[in-house]
Amino acid sequence: MRVAVDGVVRRGRAVDLRDLNPAPGAVLAAIRAAGTDGPTDADGPTDADGPTDDRSVRVDCPTSSSAHDRLGHVAGSPARSLRALLAAAARSRGQRAPQRSELRSVRDALADLHVPETDLTDERRRAANAGREEDRLRERVAELRGRLRALDETGAETDAVRDDLLAAIERLSEVETERIAAAQSLERAERRAREARSRRERRLELEDREANLERAARAHLAAAIYDEFAAAARSLPGAAEPGDGPGAYDGDPITAHLAAVRVADLDAPVVLSVPRFDGAEEASARLGVPVIRL
Amino acid sequence: MFARFSPAQVLLVVTYSRAARQTLRNVCRSHDETVVRRFGRAALFEGTEFGAFLALRLREKHGGDVQIERTTPLNEFETVPERVREAAAAYEAREHPSTPYAKFAAGTDHPGPERLRRREL
Repeated sequence: MRVAVDGVVRRGRAVDLRDLNPAPGAVLAAIRAAGTDGPTDADGPTDADGPTDDRSVRVDCPTSSSAHDRLGHVAGSPARSLRALLAAAARSRGQRAPQRSELRSVRDALADLHVPETDLTDERRRAANAGREEDRLRERVAELRGRLRALDETGAETDAVRDDLLAAIERLSEVETERIAAAQSLERAERRAREARSRRERRLELEDREANLERAARAHLAAAIYDEFAAAARSLPGAAEPGDGPGAYDGDPITAHLAAVRVADLDAPVVLSVPRFDGAEEASARLGVPVIRL
Repeated sequence: MFARFSPAQVLLVVTYSRAARQTLRNVCRSHDETVVRRFGRAALFEGTEFGAFLALRLREKHGGDVQIERTTPLNEFETVPERVREAAAAYEAREHPSTPYAKFAAGTDHPGPERLRRREL
């Protein structure tokens, strides 16, 4: 590989950049941009591998794989579970889980599933406002009727109150019509929402199914290479009691990550941010991959 | 200890996505005094303003993936006509457990299933 940081160029299967100290995120972004058509030093990092800075980092190396996304940066404790790291390592070697075809069909079904948006806020508000306005006018009509009766009894002038009452009755009938229309429109919308929820329910079932299959696939792949991983963990620096399965691993999480790298098939360089080996050369030799030491 | 204010009315909250279900779980865990009952991806919240506050927070966060209904216990003597109550009691006391309701109701005073379906409560 060839690495350039601010114009300083290093070459080889093991490159030490500790003196140049570029941000890990910038180096990983440059590795993942290598071999693609896009600009090699302008793309942002693809995941939370740490901040980039404005320094120019360029890496010429083989195209990185999805296994590299999961395994390619060895820093403190790995963010992913041991099963996820081992599954990525197994996939990099061409192993496939038996859940694969079912997983694909579940994902296809999810992609085809159209779930309509159902926001009934406006309908609910309209129905509630119309109801309140109707109550208010009903009280107003009752009050005007009472006042009219009282005026009638004393023989006073009633025309003004009578006009107010007629106007209020007319307005009440309009508002009643509006309230009924609003209630019916809300009811129709609720019915539509109920149908849409059947689809949401279906989507949730599919998503649960997808998650279960993914978990089963990871477990299968992790078990398939566990013996090899355990041997690698025992041979690498750091305390590790691998036991006989991912659930039994007891020891240093960085050693586990390094052992997963050792059994994986990675062409793009692994970024090593922890001191475990005497230099990048030794790391590369023991891990069997190109290494950039930060 | 004081008797707690416990309105019969409750809020039924049903979730329709993994994220909404997770939020509901978290809400139930931190507010079990307001949660009357939990069922998988649904829960009953107490019919108080605080119950409504929790339900509306869920809807605010997850939109259409949260359904909120207001429910009350059913008083069948108030809401359900006598003929329906009697039909239910008689059918549960039937001689042959395998008799479907349509056949059971035929030729009796009990309403048939189609009639029951047509009538709203």
